[in-house]
Amino acid sequence: MHSDELDVITLEHVSKRYYLRSQRPQELKTAILHLPSFLRTDHRRRPFWALDDVSLNVRRGESIGVIGPNGSGKSTLLRIVADLARPTTGTVQVNGRISALLELGAGFHPQITGRENAVLNAVLLGLTRKEADERLPEIIAFSELGDFIDQPMRTYSSGMYIRLGFAVAVHVKADVLLVDEVLAVGDTEFQQKCFSHIEKLRAEGVTIVLVSHDLGSVTRFCDRAVLLQHGRIQIDGESQPVVHEYLSRITALIGQPVSS
Amino acid sequence: MLKPLLLGLVLYFALKQVVRIRVEDYQLVLISALFPWAWFQTSVLLAAPVISSNGNLIKKVHFPRYVLPFAVVTNNMVHFLLALPVITVFVLVSGYRPSAAWLVGIPMLALIELVLLMGVVLLISSLNVYLRDLEHLVEVFLNLMFYVTPIIYPLDQVPQRYKNLLLLNPLASLIEAWRELFMSNKLPGLEALWPCLVFTAIAVAIGSTVFGRLERGFADAL
Repeated sequence: MHSDELDVITLEHVSKRYYLRSQRPQELKTAILHLPSFLRTDHRRRPFWALDDVSLNVRRGESIGVIGPNGSGKSTLLRIVADLARPTTGTVQVNGRISALLELGAGFHPQITGRENAVLNAVLLGLTRKEADERLPEIIAFSELGDFIDQPMRTYSSGMYIRLGFAVAVHVKADVLLVDEVLAVGDTEFQQKCFSHIEKLRAEGVTIVLVSHDLGSVTRFCDRAVLLQHGRIQIDGESQPVVHEYLSRITALIGQPVSS
Repeated sequence: MLKPLLLGLVLYFALKQVVRIRVEDYQLVLISALFPWAWFQTSVLLAAPVISSNGNLIKKVHFPRYVLPFAVVTNNMVHFLLALPVITVFVLVSGYRPSAAWLVGIPMLALIELVLLMGVVLLISSLNVYLRDLEHLVEVFLNLMFYVTPIIYPLDQVPQRYKNLLLLNPLASLIEAWRELFMSNKLPGLEALWPCLVFTAIAVAIGSTVFGRLERGFADAL
């Protein structure tokens, strides 16, 4: 695979290794107290490859869904694209500004108000303070939080969290929007609103990477999908056939007779 | 700002009234050193866990990680700068007069302390991610450091044979320079400040190297 200037995200042979139950002490005290045994024992760490030789090119304006079972490496993939984790091997190249909405509570501070968190989050995502203040009314309007915007975030429900998180993430005018399985928390109406906003962003040329277990929305909103399993890309293609193949694999698995 | 003042009050009572330490204008000796010390101590103490306790932010948002410890340091610098009028009042009440030397001396010493702190907090905050009990050791260490820094006594009270040993403390020459500035309007020279400058250079070199190395693993280690 070679990349051209149309590619916004380029992953080449990306692998990510984590260690399972590393024996490395977490504290200085433990390290010193256990130094003799630590030096004596063979402490080879058991590696776990969350991503295994993943290559992926995403073009500008493309909208791609990442599907696969729990633990297949979907979130790790997004974290690597967002530069929150570094790949163990391989290279990542992203052209343009990224806005990532990963899991609930995307870096909100529970003690300060929703309004303050919105500004803080927008600044962390790369806006200047002035730009953040300018977009604040839009963000608040989108979140539909009303007067609750001036309440501390710890009082928010998970739906309210995600409303504000999503509102900030889509208003920072990024070139790439990463969304990790978060919309499920919002109510149907808000989900609809988010998806129509995503459509609008797509029309403006924003690249979207969506991790979701909601296969329906993947087929509806993504022109392309990749199926991840055991940290490898199993299939990469148009979303409809990929989702179809994923479903038939599940059916095949469940359909097997439960005998030893 | 209240903490150094109250600490000064208690120390004044204990050491001047009870122990009857023979140092002139002891209130000023204390106050001129306690505020710069409080800036240092509070910054290091609060910056140590600042990366490890903000895992939520670090795992989900991409931003330059050094802003977390630096925010602690600059925040405490503002506290220190706001305390300057209080120090001035003490100077005036004790019968001393501030001079134009302050206009040069304060920014200069503040800059040195700021850079020294940045080096120190980069090192400690990043190590604390991997060695979680470091913040407790830092606390103990700071408590001990208080007594081997010329805070509750001026440097010239220290017997000659201990003086060089004391100057191995990176803060000793800096704190003494603050005091000389506030009490004698003396601008610190290189001959008095060099130990602190050497430590500052070392702290920045080690701090930024270690932070740069460990930073990559923050998201995975938290």
